[in-house]
Amino acid sequence: MSELTQNQFESSDDELPEEVAFDASKSVALKSVKDALDAAKREKNQLKEKRRKRQQLFQEQKKRKLLPQELLEEFDTELQKQTYPSDNRGIKKNVSTKPSHNKKDEEQETRTMPKKTSKSLPVSYRVMRIKDESDAKSLQQRAMDFVQSRLYGTGTKRTTNAELLSLKKKRGASQGAAVEFANKKLGAYKKARITRSNKRFIRQHKLIPL
Amino acid sequence: MGEFKVHRVRFFDYMPSGIRALAYNRDTERMAVARIDGSVEVFHSSDRFFQEKIIPGREQCGIEGLSWVGQRLFSAGLNGGITEYDLTNQKVKYTVDAYGGPIWTITGNQQGTHLAVGCEDGTVKLFEVNEDKIQFERNLDRQKSRIISLSWHPSGSKIAAGMMDMIQIFNVETGHSVHRMLADRGVGTSRSKECVVWSVVYLSDGTIISGDSVGMVKLWDDQTGTLIKSHNVTKCDVLALSISQNEDSLVAGTSEGTVVQFQFVSVVLGKDDKEWVRTRTFKNHTHDIRAVAEITTAVVSGGMDAQLVVRPLLDKIEVRSAASALRKIHFPHRKLVSCARKSGLMLFQYSGHLELWRLGESEGKATPGSSLFVKRNPEKLLHLKVKGEDHIGCSAVSPCGEWIVYSTASSLRLYRLHFDNNNVSITKISKLPKVLSSANQLCFSSDSSYLFSASTQSSVHLVSLSQSGCKFVGTLKPKSGSHQAIHLLAASEDGKWLASANSDHEVHIYNLQTRKVHCTVPVYSSAVTAMGIHPTTNCLFIMYADQQMCEYSIEQNEYTDWSRTVQRKGLHRFWLERDTPCLNVMFNPQNPSHVILHDMYMLCIIDKSLPLPDDKTQFYNQLTLKSLPEEQRKSHSHAFKISKTFKDILFVELMSDQSLVVVERPLEDVATQLPAPIKQKKFAT
Repeated sequence: MSELTQNQFESSDDELPEEVAFDASKSVALKSVKDALDAAKREKNQLKEKRRKRQQLFQEQKKRKLLPQELLEEFDTELQKQTYPSDNRGIKKNVSTKPSHNKKDEEQETRTMPKKTSKSLPVSYRVMRIKDESDAKSLQQRAMDFVQSRLYGTGTKRTTNAELLSLKKKRGASQGAAVEFANKKLGAYKKARITRSNKRFIRQHKLIPL
Repeated sequence: MGEFKVHRVRFFDYMPSGIRALAYNRDTERMAVARIDGSVEVFHSSDRFFQEKIIPGREQCGIEGLSWVGQRLFSAGLNGGITEYDLTNQKVKYTVDAYGGPIWTITGNQQGTHLAVGCEDGTVKLFEVNEDKIQFERNLDRQKSRIISLSWHPSGSKIAAGMMDMIQIFNVETGHSVHRMLADRGVGTSRSKECVVWSVVYLSDGTIISGDSVGMVKLWDDQTGTLIKSHNVTKCDVLALSISQNEDSLVAGTSEGTVVQFQFVSVVLGKDDKEWVRTRTFKNHTHDIRAVAEITTAVVSGGMDAQLVVRPLLDKIEVRSAASALRKIHFPHRKLVSCARKSGLMLFQYSGHLELWRLGESEGKATPGSSLFVKRNPEKLLHLKVKGEDHIGCSAVSPCGEWIVYSTASSLRLYRLHFDNNNVSITKISKLPKVLSSANQLCFSSDSSYLFSASTQSSVHLVSLSQSGCKFVGTLKPKSGSHQAIHLLAASEDGKWLASANSDHEVHIYNLQTRKVHCTVPVYSSAVTAMGIHPTTNCLFIMYADQQMCEYSIEQNEYTDWSRTVQRKGLHRFWLERDTPCLNVMFNPQNPSHVILHDMYMLCIIDKSLPLPDDKTQFYNQLTLKSLPEEQRKSHSHAFKISKTFKDILFVELMSDQSLVVVERPLEDVATQLPAPIKQKKFAT
């Protein structure tokens, strides 16, 4: 296409336009249409690939999330073993399917891992779902955190009680030193830090000869 | 008068809990106060704000609001439930779960038929108040953000709800939101945070007043749903609002600790057009104010500094009296310390545990006023934690020091102590009689052989203690029909008499040998704050909340002559103007005419043999008496000897070795452990 236009520009304006063969332009148009179709098809295929890969990834994740197959089978057989004797007493029809399944699983089980005896929990233990407990508590905790963050969180200008009391003393009737120096309990923490850092400084600069 | 060796005890690290909500009942003149640890207290506003009832809290309670419906008290909290309290027996009646998540506010309508609660999930739930329980009626339309505050219109047809960034008005009939008013977020850094409308008030003329976290008090019109006026009160949050009964005065509590008053007055004198004008500012708190309430003559405020401040409005008071003074209530009006007088042990009651300490010893002699050398330091013998989530309601240690008992709302535990050389061992008495499930007050007899436990219906259970354990002996029941809980018990030294005082101002005296009521002291208009029975004369000495005192002779069934003289002559006005109640009455075996009393700021010895002071004599005359020569002292002295050496006294007791124990809790030490206050820039700092 560009060659055609170039030819057109090269010739002067007075001359008649050049003849372009019908076939050439036809082929050019068809090619463009085909290109467009191809591009659309390619895009569709790409999306398909992406979707397929994602689906595969999800399935793998799901598999990883579930307990390993053997444990599930073991629980299944345990349950069936426990229900088996009671079922036997009851309806006889259903028993036919269960024993065969059971035997197969039993064999599988004995191959994979040793039989586990069912343990019952001690009497003082209770079974609770962690999901339920944590939901109820977390709502109350979240509400308390909300109030705490609005009143004491970032953006609030808070100071310490020691500073409040010290300022009161500074402007009070009988002016005195800041509370950290006057009150032994308050000042203890700061004093300890200061003595430790003093000792470190002296040792570092070797002010006291050994 | 008396020289005493004084043990000054400052190792009781009692921390009062901050105040979260206030609710005033106008008909009975009671103020209910909810604290952050879940405890609810009821103060009598016309009886010198005496703390009549205390309902102990529990762990993880998260109480957020209180509301009176008639005579019943309801509270709601972040645990999602609405609780009704049994005020007669001072315990929780029941809890109803609202199923809306944490509840932020509870309010009742003026007609007393419904309760509305605002929940975390954005619903306003209506509960119908029935005779014995509350019943869920319906939800109003659910909103997207949490409901922080609610206010009923006085007619009961509309509710204003303060939420995050907006205020909505609901029509109660249909449940739909009628108007939505947006509160703006302020300038600067607060633009990015949501504006929390902490409280709303709905007036009967349709004005809605809101206080929000930007520090503005805004007036809205509910017909058009628009803002009328906005007042910038503070730079931090406005946390609480309260309107007076005739709707002409509003008080707002802020995070800085100031209470601002707005009044509905006409700006030009004589003309009728009134508007809300900011009038007064009260700066009585140092930390955030979480609750304010306006009663007829005063503004009551409470917050994170755990003080209840009653500030009288002087334009409403005609006579200068005890009611017209600023009142700050720091400590509870109950005894938190009990003493084993014969063995020098002290039991400190905290909310979740008990501590048993042995007092130190000193040696040498010194002049009065100076301190002695401490030979052996006081030591902590026992730290007893409470099982379960309830807080301790009352506790006691026997005078010999061998038994400890405490009671929570759900259980009562009795322990026996064994001392061998330096070791202390404790055994729990497991088989307690079934009657002893919980107690309002506990007391041991003076020879430690009986335990008195005050329980429901104003009765006292009698349990005998011995080496083998305890055995239920009987119940002492009063003759009158009052069922109010007992808050004070006093046993006589000889073990024959027991006096009990309950919240209905009744004092019963029981004969312990016949186990029947012996007599009843005539009911006085003020509550009993302290009682004691004299060891030799067996006279009951009673101190009342209005600082009056009386002495009743048990054996003769009448007031003593000294008591009649006091009533006739009246007490000195400095005595009557004291603003903290006397919490303990003690007697000195060496001087039978002495009575030792204390309140939060002073220690007093009343000598009944000396004349009473009249209004013209100098009341605090200890220093002047010291300066006078020996002969003149007798003519100038009067019966009341007051010492103000000790500050912020929680408890005073006279031990059997004639030494005084004074437990002080300096308010400065309490202040250092409170939550952080707002930073305020003051001039010249």
